[in-house]
Amino acid sequence: MKKGRIIVGALVALMVMVGTVLASSSETSGTVVWWGWTPGSPMNEQYIAQFNKVYPNIKVIWKQIAIADYDAAIRPALASGQGVDAFQVSAGSGNGGIHVYAGQAIDLTNAVKKALGDNYKDKLGKAAITTMTVNGQLKALGVGSVYAGNLWINQDLFNKYNVKVPTNLNEWITACKVFKEHGIIGFVQGAGQGPFDMDTFHAIADNVSPGTFTKATRGEVKWTNDSIVKALELWKGLFSNGIMQSGALGLQQYPEANNLFMSQKAAMVMMGSWYTSNCLPDTMKAAIGSASSTKQPFTMVPIDFPDIAGTGKTGSMFGDLDYATAVSASSKNIMAATTFAVWLGTSQQGQQMIANSLNVIPSLKSATQDWSKIKLVNPKKQNDAIKNYTKKAMNSGDNPRFADINADMNQAMIDVLAGVAAGTITPKDGAAQLEAAQGSRK
Amino acid sequence: MKNKTKNKTSRFTKINGLLWILPAFVFVVGIIYYSIFYTFNLSTLNWNGLDPIPIKVGISNYTKALFSDWIFWKAIKNTIVYFLITFLIQNFLGFIFAAILHTKVKLATLHKVLIFIPTILAPATMAPVFRLLFSPQGMLQNIFNTLHLGITVDWLANPNSALFILMIVAIWEFTGMSFILYYAAMSQIDKEMLEAAHLDGAGNFRTLLSIVLPNCKGTTVSLAMLGIIGALKTFDIPYLITTGGPYHATEFLGTYIYTQGIKQAHLGYAAAISVMLLILAICGAILINRVNKGDAK
Repeated sequence: MKKGRIIVGALVALMVMVGTVLASSSETSGTVVWWGWTPGSPMNEQYIAQFNKVYPNIKVIWKQIAIADYDAAIRPALASGQGVDAFQVSAGSGNGGIHVYAGQAIDLTNAVKKALGDNYKDKLGKAAITTMTVNGQLKALGVGSVYAGNLWINQDLFNKYNVKVPTNLNEWITACKVFKEHGIIGFVQGAGQGPFDMDTFHAIADNVSPGTFTKATRGEVKWTNDSIVKALELWKGLFSNGIMQSGALGLQQYPEANNLFMSQKAAMVMMGSWYTSNCLPDTMKAAIGSASSTKQPFTMVPIDFPDIAGTGKTGSMFGDLDYATAVSASSKNIMAATTFAVWLGTSQQGQQMIANSLNVIPSLKSATQDWSKIKLVNPKKQNDAIKNYTKKAMNSGDNPRFADINADMNQAMIDVLAGVAAGTITPKDGAAQLEAAQGSRK
Repeated sequence: MKNKTKNKTSRFTKINGLLWILPAFVFVVGIIYYSIFYTFNLSTLNWNGLDPIPIKVGISNYTKALFSDWIFWKAIKNTIVYFLITFLIQNFLGFIFAAILHTKVKLATLHKVLIFIPTILAPATMAPVFRLLFSPQGMLQNIFNTLHLGITVDWLANPNSALFILMIVAIWEFTGMSFILYYAAMSQIDKEMLEAAHLDGAGNFRTLLSIVLPNCKGTTVSLAMLGIIGALKTFDIPYLITTGGPYHATEFLGTYIYTQGIKQAHLGYAAAISVMLLILAICGAILINRVNKGDAK
């Protein structure tokens, strides 16, 4: 009898233990450590709060790493197999490129099929699938896309100093000159941070000859093409004609150029659609505070990149998946992490929140910005501008930002743009260097 | 019988002695030499650090660096220029400060502290300050604007001046180290020797040059060795202030290893450069040691 009680007791204890272990790694409970670089506070916390309304027993811990340090931090973390459950990856060459980290991520195909059905490909943006598929496996779930190619301007400063919004090279030079006379930086760029130089250069190249940049990245056109050389000449010109602020090559886009724009010390900046979220009062207040400024939120609007080549071909935008969520294959909370990744990338609620945050264009096609719920800093002047901008970004077509550029080509382009800007190499030699780097990819 | 006991004791002492060096042996062999051999093995691979099967490439990472990578040679050139200039200036200043503070200077302790403080400040803490100081929107620019000097502080953006700005930062930071070592070395000089020099009619400058400087030779050699190794290992100052740019104007072996190994995921290539860095450091130390020994003869 006593023996029987002991056996029953042991079995109960075993069941409790097994239950506890299973519960700690189930689809609806557990702790998920989520690594990433974007969009940053307070948005990630807001995403987690929304997620917890549906999954209150999954605790998500957001671990933010600066964009420049992401690879240095995530690689050893993944190699150690500890402390990472979900992590952000990007398409192409940038930080956290999926092709580097795919081996450490699980295949999410079945999870997304379970969430959206077998026709999931019809429900998600094409880039969310194609750029995150490695060797036939869906290694991460795209959260949203970003686009670049435009400038953001501080409309209040333009109004205050009665400056015409630039549409061509001369107007741009004049605008910068007028702002300089008033002690304001006209256009600011952290040209010491390469990826943003690539955006500006891509915009110039598309202004010279739309589509040639993309063809060159795919090896369909040589980098030594006349239009690319011309684009490099125009890029160099920005540093000598008074458009780029002095010392641009010694400046980083984040935090320095961003801070100068947010503290209203600069009137124009080259940023993409991720900057749209700064049109929301709370996000802008946080950004202004981070820039150590006490000024009030201001009216910022996107404008087309000025027609500096004089071709009349302006308004080009380029973009790709900004970030996706991968689940670490060595995670002890794979199921909970998968629940989070799937919710963020495919659920109507999660993607609607992403859409309304204006940080990225959501991957789920059915989630679009709910303008009745979005309150901008200056709705009268911003609403239409932002709506048109978002629409234009989504219709930008096959013009990827980084997806076709690998890490070596990325570095070569950063080097060439810095070298040409500094006058260390000529635009022609720079184009030849890019072609050589492209050749070594084959 | 006596001999046997003696042999036993000797063997026991030997084993006992070996046990004493075991922790250091394990530490040195297990961590340092293992890491060196691991890095050497890594340098023969083409690997991103995560793929399960690395590709063996033999010595091609070395030949690539030596024969077709201009950035590697730029980093070497920058290291040499950086070492020569910072070594000369910071040791000159350190020597002069040490000599002055060996005279009867008022508030000597305060001066010593002020000279040494930059050495103990972390570069990570000071880098943003220097970025701001040498920024076109920074303090130096404001001073120039106030004085209507018409100078634009865009030195960090200029490939011709960025390296010199980093040298200024390094000199500011490490002069305190030279000072403290020279100060200690000068304290060891026999006072009678200095008095004899004065009695023989040598002035202060002559005494400094002919008596004090030769007596500090050991310190100078040590500082040269530390300087070479330090220059080869330079990472924090250029990475935090210029990130190696513009256009690799401030690239050092350390920053290049980081770029290749971490940003571009070429771990094998980064390891090959690390091995070459190690060889250069050892060669530099041997060279200075030999020069020192040659002079001593």
